[in-house]
Amino acid sequence: MELLHVALAVLFVPLGIAGLLMIVAPLRRSGRAAGVLSVLGSLFALAGSLYLFAALFGASGSELDRLTTTWLPHARLGAGRLASPIELGVLLDGISVSMLVVVCFVACMVQIFSLGYMSHEPPADFGRYFTWQSLFLFAMNTLVIAPNLLQLFLGWELVGLASYLLIGFYFRKPSAARAAVKAFWMTKLADMGLIAGLIVLFRETGTFDWTVTTPAATVVTFLLFIAVMGKSAQFPLHVWLPDAMEGPTPVSALLHAATMVAAGVFLIVRADPLFAQAAFTREFMLYIGAFTALFAACIAVVQSDIKKVLAYSTCSQLGYMVAALGAGSQVAGFFHLTTHAFFKALLFLAAGSLIHAVHSNELRQMGGLFSKMKLTSICFIVGALALAGIPGLSGFFSKDLILEVVLARGAYVPLAALLVAAFLTAFYMGRVVLLALFGAPSEAAGHAHESGVSMTLPLVLLSVLALGSGYAGAQLSGLYAEPVHFHLSTIGIVATGLALTGIAVSFWMFGPAKGGAAVQAAFAPLGRVARSGAVDQLYLLGYRRGLRGLAAGAAWFDRYMIDGAINAAAYGTLELGGRLRRLQNGDVQTYLYVVAMAAVLFALAGLVGVG
Amino acid sequence: MMNLGPLTIDLILCGLTFGVLSVDLALPHGRKRALGYLTAVLLAGLFVVSFFIDVSGSALSGAYQGDAWVLFFKRFALVAGVFVSLGAVDYVDRHFPTRQGEFWVLMLFTLLGMTLLPGARDLLLLIVCFELMGLPLVVLASFAKSEDKTGPGQFAPEAGLKLYLVSSVSTAITLYGVSIIYGLSGTTKLAELGGVGVSPMLFVGLAFALAGMGFKIGAVPFHMWVPDTYQGTSTPFVSFLSVAPKATGFAALAAVLILGFAHQKAAWAPLVLFVLVTSIFFGNLFALAQKDLKRLLAYSGIAQVGYMMIGLLTADAYGMGMLLFYIAGYLVTNMGAFLVLHAVAPNRSTITLDDVRGLSRRSPRLALALLLFLLSLAGIPFVVGFWAKLYVFMAAYRAGYTWLVLYGALMAIVALFYYLQIAKAAYMEEPTDAEPIRVDGSLDAVVMACMALVVVMGLYPSPFLQGAMAAARALFG
Repeated sequence: MELLHVALAVLFVPLGIAGLLMIVAPLRRSGRAAGVLSVLGSLFALAGSLYLFAALFGASGSELDRLTTTWLPHARLGAGRLASPIELGVLLDGISVSMLVVVCFVACMVQIFSLGYMSHEPPADFGRYFTWQSLFLFAMNTLVIAPNLLQLFLGWELVGLASYLLIGFYFRKPSAARAAVKAFWMTKLADMGLIAGLIVLFRETGTFDWTVTTPAATVVTFLLFIAVMGKSAQFPLHVWLPDAMEGPTPVSALLHAATMVAAGVFLIVRADPLFAQAAFTREFMLYIGAFTALFAACIAVVQSDIKKVLAYSTCSQLGYMVAALGAGSQVAGFFHLTTHAFFKALLFLAAGSLIHAVHSNELRQMGGLFSKMKLTSICFIVGALALAGIPGLSGFFSKDLILEVVLARGAYVPLAALLVAAFLTAFYMGRVVLLALFGAPSEAAGHAHESGVSMTLPLVLLSVLALGSGYAGAQLSGLYAEPVHFHLSTIGIVATGLALTGIAVSFWMFGPAKGGAAVQAAFAPLGRVARSGAVDQLYLLGYRRGLRGLAAGAAWFDRYMIDGAINAAAYGTLELGGRLRRLQNGDVQTYLYVVAMAAVLFALAGLVGVG
Repeated sequence: MMNLGPLTIDLILCGLTFGVLSVDLALPHGRKRALGYLTAVLLAGLFVVSFFIDVSGSALSGAYQGDAWVLFFKRFALVAGVFVSLGAVDYVDRHFPTRQGEFWVLMLFTLLGMTLLPGARDLLLLIVCFELMGLPLVVLASFAKSEDKTGPGQFAPEAGLKLYLVSSVSTAITLYGVSIIYGLSGTTKLAELGGVGVSPMLFVGLAFALAGMGFKIGAVPFHMWVPDTYQGTSTPFVSFLSVAPKATGFAALAAVLILGFAHQKAAWAPLVLFVLVTSIFFGNLFALAQKDLKRLLAYSGIAQVGYMMIGLLTADAYGMGMLLFYIAGYLVTNMGAFLVLHAVAPNRSTITLDDVRGLSRRSPRLALALLLFLLSLAGIPFVVGFWAKLYVFMAAYRAGYTWLVLYGALMAIVALFYYLQIAKAAYMEEPTDAEPIRVDGSLDAVVMACMALVVVMGLYPSPFLQGAMAAARALFG
């Protein structure tokens, strides 16, 4: 089988299913059938991506295959500077194929999980949900296998659309509709950076290729990074992500934890040759990433909504990835992306299973669920331990690698921030586990029971990967031509110690003994800051004062200057049109006269001009 | 043995015409609707055949030439023929049940003129082909005759007569110009004209010849028949009249200006520039003031012709390729737009904004199609009209006409106003008549096909652009 054919099928089968569900309304409204069709599509995509992955290990180089077709020929720049034609296509190499596997696997698990989780929705909504899920899979794969930045941008905007549609899935609920719009606006604002970056790149080099060498690399990569900050929820553009939890929980797992938010990180991994030319951008990334990791971890500590904790945790972990890439290690960032995708999807789906049982996101509505839902709870604990970075689980390997590269870079301030964040991560995950799964059960938790097999099966499969995927790191890194040797380092031991301390502290505070009121009090001011939504307030202020002021000025200019000019022009044009119309009086004699006169005038002009 | 290879398609078309004529004789009254379908099927078949035969080479002792450029126009005419047959079959059947055969045979004859002309490499052959195309069009424009005093054919005789008078005067002027050119050069073969030195008399001849062709493409100041004729004749026929003869007119202009007088570009470029700038200006300006949608589209078509002429002005392979792409996009867009208007008011020749008001409630599909056609005419991404405008602008920029790009873009904004006004009426206003619209099956199919092509060519223009470029390169040998 041709690898490219497989890749194209992986790409277009989900699109076909999405298109079919969009066009054939009865099929979509039937609900169940639409869901099954969509799951089959994702299973197919998973099988195809695994086939490609297997081929990767047999290949000699890192690039398997590449297919491009000209989308726009003759895209020329001015003054004789020739640009290569703009192409779309498929690029299969180590990075794209392993990302493809991650995306397809998580998407498949999430869709199977959704069959159970969304089963109480009306059939029409159920069908709509799976239509957008299939659309998302196509959009994400378009982004992943893009051979150039332009196609990546197309996929980038399409996943943004899918994200908007899925966050706003419960659009009858005002808060969900608002969250969808907010996510759309925030990311779109950031995307201006991507557009600007692409324009600069194309102007300077005449291509959208990320392998070019250009003196404008710093400007281009900085602009690209602005878009990354939006998509991957880096401070200060992270505010949309917690609100995006208004979407159904499986959506949060797929889009807002495992794959879509990682698209920003993926962009940096992909465009590594460009970023390698921009020392300033990398420095900036290192600090932004480290700060986000710490900042979001602090906020996660005090959230009472289980999904909000996980959302801030996602922000924080994306910060780790960005910091790693800022420190110049493509492998460390991408490896953490991979392991994080598995264990964070696992955490979200397990949380979804808990939410499904108690019909609430609030931690205090849970409690004591371990005895009721053993399987879900064990899976959740596995995910939490992996996230906390306990040795042996996948998160440990990738987080340790990040700390190592930051240390090697000699950036001690970001390193300290990341270490503190590691401690906090263990602490807040310990808190969630203890509050939700142990302790005194709430009333709702008393009636809880284990979810069905369509929900538990994905949990078990994801748990296996959350446990084991860390061991694949050494093999994977070989695929990106940047071999890395894993060994237990000092920094790893320090981080492990911090993680264990974090768990111990959480056990002391929230465990059976319920000790440390002092610690709780120490965190209280932080809680107030987080709950007040300081950054949101800042945006609101900026919006009220800055943007509105600017808008008022622009409105005045538009109304009196531009509109005035346009109205004058339009009035003049209409008036002129009205007058000229009299020439067109319906008399064929006039028409003939004009034709003849024009011919004569043309001839006269020629006689005068040439003669 | 004469080599007629380059004429294969035209000869088959001629045979088909007589075939349809014979079938018409055999068919009893009441079953003649089949003729329209037959015409469409035959033309579609010929279109397919055109991909499998070789029509390159020279024929008629050098007076006729076949190459990729010529083939483009032949296929263009065939596609337009298929679309108009399917779009008009219901109309023809309802209004002229007994005269259907004549309608289709005339249509086939005019198509024959269109397929023949682009290959003509002799001025006299060129003019004969022009008339072969033009005269049946006059008959078709006034096909409703006087039997239809109140119906849609009310103004048809007037429309036909105007078309005929302006057409014959234009041809007379063209012939006069051609005779001057012949007097100077002693030949009517295009390939041999290039040796003539630039002289005032040559310029007079060229100006006169151009005046006649300006009439065919409906460019200012030879455009005045356009709105009157469009308004008066049946809408499905207008969909054809607004597209196919224009393409043929451009083929004739390219033959004379580029094959004949490429070396005298300095003499004709100012004329083309003048016609182009005034066409864009007056077309858009007049369109602004129109309430009648067919007149509006007629004026907008005059402006569109102005944009197409940019390709002619550059007179290089790139510019001509973009001209071809523009015409191809214009075929599906403009035919589609007129056919939607026809579907909305199938029994009237006058269609106003009231007819499309609230169209989205009456027929969501037609409304969507109309919206896409209007966006394409206005040049909005990602429908074909966007690339068409972008690429002719790029051609102008390459040739050094930066100011023309700015001018064209500015006038495109003016055009946006009247195009979007129609879209607004269709989507945001209440319908005056809430009755859902029932559309004839084959008409519906053509509209959907046009819509699909507008979108496909908009999303993936590359193969079409490359085809157009290949055809244009053939013109330059």
